[in-house]
Amino acid sequence: MTRKERKHDTKRRTGWIMSAAVFVLLAALWACGKTQEAPPPWKVIDAPTLKAMMAAGKNISVINTMSEIECLDHRIPGTQCVACEEIERSPSVLPADKDQVIVLYCESAGCYRSCRAAGAAIQYGYRKVHVLNGGMPAWKQAGYSMESIERIPRGSIPAVRALTLQQMLVERDDILLVDVRSEKSYKEGHIEGTVNIPLYRLSRRYAEMPLDRTVVLIDDRGFRTFLAGSYLETKGYRVMRLFKGMQGWAEIQGKNG
Amino acid sequence: MKFIKARRSGVLLAGLIVLAAGLAILQTGQARATQDCRFCHDEPLYRFDFNHSIHASNGCTSCHVGITNIENHRDGKEKPAPVNCGSCHQEIGKEYQNNFHYIQEDFRCSDCHLNIHAIRKVENKNVKIAIIEKCTECHGNPDYTASGHGEAVLKGNQDAADCSDCHSLHSTRVFHISLEQYPAEAREFYTQKCKHCHADSAMMKRNNLSDRMVAYYEGTYHGKVQELGYPAPVAGCGDCHTKHNILPKKDSRSSIHPDNLKANCGRCHTGFHPRFLSYQAHPDYTDRAKYPALYFTFLLMGGLLVGTLAFFWLHTVLWWRKVYWEHHRMEIEGIVLPSVVATGEGLQQVERFSVKYRIMHVLLVLSFFTLVLTGFPLKYAGTEWAETLTRLWGGAHVAGLLHRSAAFLLIVGMAYVTLESLRFLFPRGEGKRGWFGRLIGPDSLFPNLKDLQDIKGMVRWYFNKGEAPKFDRWTYWEKFDFLAVFWGMFAIGGSGILLWKPEWSSYLVPGWVLNIAALVHSEEALLAALFIFTIHFFNTHFIPNKFPMDRLIFTGTYRVEELKEQRPLEYERLVAEGRLESMKREHPSIPIKLISATFGLGSLLLGLFLTVLILWSILFG
Repeated sequence: MTRKERKHDTKRRTGWIMSAAVFVLLAALWACGKTQEAPPPWKVIDAPTLKAMMAAGKNISVINTMSEIECLDHRIPGTQCVACEEIERSPSVLPADKDQVIVLYCESAGCYRSCRAAGAAIQYGYRKVHVLNGGMPAWKQAGYSMESIERIPRGSIPAVRALTLQQMLVERDDILLVDVRSEKSYKEGHIEGTVNIPLYRLSRRYAEMPLDRTVVLIDDRGFRTFLAGSYLETKGYRVMRLFKGMQGWAEIQGKNG
Repeated sequence: MKFIKARRSGVLLAGLIVLAAGLAILQTGQARATQDCRFCHDEPLYRFDFNHSIHASNGCTSCHVGITNIENHRDGKEKPAPVNCGSCHQEIGKEYQNNFHYIQEDFRCSDCHLNIHAIRKVENKNVKIAIIEKCTECHGNPDYTASGHGEAVLKGNQDAADCSDCHSLHSTRVFHISLEQYPAEAREFYTQKCKHCHADSAMMKRNNLSDRMVAYYEGTYHGKVQELGYPAPVAGCGDCHTKHNILPKKDSRSSIHPDNLKANCGRCHTGFHPRFLSYQAHPDYTDRAKYPALYFTFLLMGGLLVGTLAFFWLHTVLWWRKVYWEHHRMEIEGIVLPSVVATGEGLQQVERFSVKYRIMHVLLVLSFFTLVLTGFPLKYAGTEWAETLTRLWGGAHVAGLLHRSAAFLLIVGMAYVTLESLRFLFPRGEGKRGWFGRLIGPDSLFPNLKDLQDIKGMVRWYFNKGEAPKFDRWTYWEKFDFLAVFWGMFAIGGSGILLWKPEWSSYLVPGWVLNIAALVHSEEALLAALFIFTIHFFNTHFIPNKFPMDRLIFTGTYRVEELKEQRPLEYERLVAEGRLESMKREHPSIPIKLISATFGLGSLLLGLFLTVLILWSILFG
């Protein structure tokens, strides 16, 4: 091969490499554009849409998927209280007609609980399942009113940090750790010595707890124990709650380890 | 006319009477309703305490609305609607709609404003203490109550922050740490809260604190990125001073106590040498006693900036004056330069810059603009254009990456030029022999005695005291341009490399040197930008006989006649050494000329535009 031919060959090879690179780049760009998450199998609606649907008096079931005590404390007016866990357990808590419009909502913007419930409803064969986008926070921020069936007087429930709780467990023997997360989350991991009374069953099971102990409530991230604590306070319990919940506990475990 | 007036007054009077009657009926109605309510709700709270409360002028139905039939209500068939305090307290109601306590825990007014029926106005109430007491009912935060702020409030200081000063009262935002969704937003929010008080001169003076701390912080990398609106990767106030446990440096519990600094900085920075900790988070360049090294660097850099610019600006203005006047004279006398009306051999193009050097100059231009466009938004972080520019880049992070990439290109280019220079001085086969001659010879970019004489000659020429000096291959201002990049690379490049990975740099230099590096990097960048965009641009392109640009650096060739005119000594040398023939080239093609003009003029315009932005920021920023 002469020098000129070799040069030509190199040029051709460079050309091929360049074209391949451009192709890969374009393919990557195309893929980026495509890699959106698959849309959920339920319909997501916003607060004004739900408001309009309810005002139109259509035959719809709007379901609050929080626990009973939370739902009765505050909910969107005219809605039902069916905890997410109950929906997951059995379809009997949902309307009989599979073509009934169902709207599920919960307390957080992430709508984790309503989405879980929506997933279950779709599995049961319900065809018109909706989730309120942004949940109750979005409803409230839109300026719509709420209703209270059995409002819990807000108490002063001290939050203890994980490190303080660890210390308390060493120093005191009257502490009763109560994990209010679902049975499933509890099984996946919990603080040693805790009993599990899921929040959605708390109103039926609180009497199992002795009144002479200081109850420390534990949840996922510390958002749900305040109301549960206030509820238990009305029932005569001394209550504290774990700041940042299991997340806070996991953080100090990481540090200690 | 009179009739109309009288009729108008009549209507007004009638209206007033109707209004008064309406109010009276309403009042009576309310009073009657209140009487009706008290028939059943007859506790002392409603019969006595309420009448002495702040809401006494309201009736029961002012707040408890929605009862249409009192018998139905008595029988438990009709309940009043939830109380909406926002119907009177509208502003607060609006704020409260986004309050975290409402959104997440469904707190209502009466959950904090307990015993609302008996609420009274307390004269001379210490509101700050009341707020702290209220919040700590649930948020028992020993960190805060034991901190500088909390302690000061409890001791009666009305300036120190209570909970609501940072978290707001009715519009409490949530940046709950467990959500980890808004670290940047939270950092921005709280940093602004700190700045609000700590930049308040009167308040800081009352409390024997410096009001300049905010400004000093804003002068650092942390502060500038924060101010640009991209607080995610840099420290806001609370990152170093913590959120609640804010104590003076002397206190061993303080996060900024020398014993705790390692852990404090270590929350963001990893893998640093202990001497990293001597970095100053809010240094005052003008404080000679406290920061002598910074103070003298500041003076030195300021002096260098002012000195260099003053000398060259004056030089440029005088030069421009001379050339412009000269042109004017030639215009009147009808004299045309031989290079303009060249014919025959004079039209022949000769090479001044080979393809390699033209490409290198283009790369230099590109990297320089990238550095300026990504670096200066940080330098002038408080300005609108800086924020817009950073947004265009796609955020401070992307701008930072591009800045480092361009710096890398420049460093590689500089290394290559250094290698070329060494090859020029010590060519293969020659070794060290004659290196000094080459160093100060006519083909070298190193200054020599002739340059001094040329400067003198130019100045004499400016003042009409003699002929313009005859130049060889490189003029003294071209040599300065070339060597300034070396100095610039030493100053900007060196400091930039130290700042690139400050934790690693701490193995070489202590933390306070990073403060100096930041200052040098920033000031030298300003000098470089202003030098290139004004002096280099004027000397090379905007001088009247080149205006609007000299395409030579992009096309690489010019006429023999131009060579003769601009660098007569070089021309004579080339002819004497018989090298002129080998330097003859084809006339540049139309595409090359078009690309050169577009790129060149684009760069010039961009440079001028940036100069306006920079000067604007210095003068009015």
